[in-house]
Amino acid sequence: MIFHEIYGCYYKSISEMLKLALNNELDNNTTKKIIDRYAFNESSLEILPALLGQKWQLIDRDFSTPIINSPSLPLTTLEKRWLKAISLDKRIALFDIDFSFLGDTEPLFLPESIKYFDKSLNSDPFDDPLYISHFKTVLEAVKNKKTIMITYTNRRSITKSFRCSPYKIEYSEKDDKFRVYASSCRRTRLLNLASIDKCTIDSNAHLTDTDTMQDLPMYVVFELSDQRNALERVLLHFANFEKEAEALGDDRYKVRLYYDKNDEAEMVIRILSFGQHIKVTQPDSFVQLIRNKLKMQYEFSKEKRKMFDE
Amino acid sequence: MAYSELIKNFEKVRSYMKEFYIYGLKSREEFSTKSARTYDNEKRRIESYLSDYIRFKRDKTGKNVFISIDSRNASHNPFFKVWKAKSFTDSEVTLHFILFDILKENQQGISLADILEAIDNDYLSIFEDPMQFDESTVRKKINEYKKMGLINSTKNGRSVIYTLAHEDDLRQLDDMLNFFSEVAPCGVVGSYILDKKSFSDSVFCFKHHYLTSALDSEVLCTLLEAIYDKKSVTVHYSGKKTDLPSVYDLIPLRIYSSVSGGRQYLFAYNILTGQMRSYRTDFMSNVKMGNVCLSFDSLMEQLNSAEKHIWGVSIKNMEKTEHVEFTIQAGEFEQFVIKRLYGEKRCGTVEKTGSNLYTFSADIYDSSEIVPWIRTFICRITHISFSNKTIEKQFLSDLKKMYQLYDIGGE
Repeated sequence: MIFHEIYGCYYKSISEMLKLALNNELDNNTTKKIIDRYAFNESSLEILPALLGQKWQLIDRDFSTPIINSPSLPLTTLEKRWLKAISLDKRIALFDIDFSFLGDTEPLFLPESIKYFDKSLNSDPFDDPLYISHFKTVLEAVKNKKTIMITYTNRRSITKSFRCSPYKIEYSEKDDKFRVYASSCRRTRLLNLASIDKCTIDSNAHLTDTDTMQDLPMYVVFELSDQRNALERVLLHFANFEKEAEALGDDRYKVRLYYDKNDEAEMVIRILSFGQHIKVTQPDSFVQLIRNKLKMQYEFSKEKRKMFDE
Repeated sequence: MAYSELIKNFEKVRSYMKEFYIYGLKSREEFSTKSARTYDNEKRRIESYLSDYIRFKRDKTGKNVFISIDSRNASHNPFFKVWKAKSFTDSEVTLHFILFDILKENQQGISLADILEAIDNDYLSIFEDPMQFDESTVRKKINEYKKMGLINSTKNGRSVIYTLAHEDDLRQLDDMLNFFSEVAPCGVVGSYILDKKSFSDSVFCFKHHYLTSALDSEVLCTLLEAIYDKKSVTVHYSGKKTDLPSVYDLIPLRIYSSVSGGRQYLFAYNILTGQMRSYRTDFMSNVKMGNVCLSFDSLMEQLNSAEKHIWGVSIKNMEKTEHVEFTIQAGEFEQFVIKRLYGEKRCGTVEKTGSNLYTFSADIYDSSEIVPWIRTFICRITHISFSNKTIEKQFLSDLKKMYQLYDIGGE
């Protein structure tokens, strides 16, 4: 059962409070801090009166507790089965995990029970020992704020070596690839992990100031007509972006989406995939990108009348 | 009943979350199927769960509440928080912490009678008005935790001795959990494990990351369990066109998840209609596991052999495929386009058919499914042909409408 109170943030908050109470460190202030950190916005309205009013008989009014041990729970069968299923995933090779503690636990699912049918076939080589080694080096560098020396081949097949400080690892579910955000010589680089030829921790260099990339906030506004279930398809398709939708009447809607400048080319083709259901209205630069593509296609259509004429 | 932040039934909040997150269009008045009070309560809960992501706007229909999240900026799925809002009674929470403390104190094991005695004497006696726990309440809770794998029991003569299940060392798991809780099915379970310890912050961020499937975790979990056990399921299915859910008896075979469209489907054999088709998991509720199905393996074989003709999730007619073919032009320095053609094709073949020309062709059950992908090559399509002429006509007509939308061709 996934939806159970033992997994809940109230139980988590109480557990953290009891840990402090055992060390005589619980008071009004720490109680509120714990609720703010682990529970919801309005949780203090429920947790505090229940605990201090002795509805939940775990903490006395003076913040003492009859509990003797620091609260913790073993893994549930569900958690173990999920971990067992993860142990069968090809990407697990990137993490040095000894799953022997799971014994003969049955997996919750097998990798073949779920198919990501529109995932790219050009995924990263997750079973390549060199790739795994690069992943681990980058991970260590990000976690411990270390600098790395890498040799990298870009998409124009130019190989260069440089020093950089990786600070974030991005995974794309569609591309099935990792990319690394790294600062280097006062600029941010976005590196495909699979394109790294060599990668070592540079123990002599120290990270001074990480110029982390501030993605340029870009937006696009489009109108859509809700034909052939377009509204649901479009809004679900773009659900992973910050967005605002507005009804214009007559089954027409206006949507404003925010995206990264780096992803503009991808955003153009994603919008094109919805065909005539979407009309981009702002900004002009984006409208022009769509127009350019359509103009080029129109030229093909003119050349090949036979094919594109009804 | 007084408002409570916690909920007993996840289904109630599930539909509101989708409405606020995916659409974000309706005002209070437009939620006509529910009472205004229900709307107010659900809205207040969601605001409390996801306060950082709640946005408001006012238009001519009134004030709208919506959830707006850029999933790349969220290292953990914010919707997991909603799974951590299960309600409980005063006695449940009190008993929980006391019971596990007693089990920790008695590593060698303890009987029910001794647990009851310890609760009264060692724990509740300090409170002004101590709670009373009878034997059956405590036994019921212990059995529930036994089923969940938290407590073990052994027989010692006539009495049963309870021990705490072994606590594993989870320290090595942090990076793995930070990653897989976001990308694996039922990732909320990974999030529960993360909550057990104070793990380090995640260094991962995610692109093309659809958060909504987290809301279907319970449905998905039961379906995956049923597939693993080769069992049938009964599901309540609410399509878009019906208010009341239909009840289907299905043999679930495989989950099909879209990483570019955000939808998740179950491919299953419908026992009543004798047809294999896909069902959206976000339309499902109340999934109940049935019996082991002897026909599971042969149905799985059928699905496996059909897969080479399925572009998305549709099998219109298993007896008949439709031919699709299109050619694109890509220059010498546009290898990324060719790479995309090879990388994104889900079936079929790609051939170099001329200088800078590449032709994709496939035989698929439903050629309408491939149209959005073909449109992503607009600006370089030199030839296109569908054996299903209705789809071909539609494609060309839609293309003309796109030209009209952007005033192309008139100048």
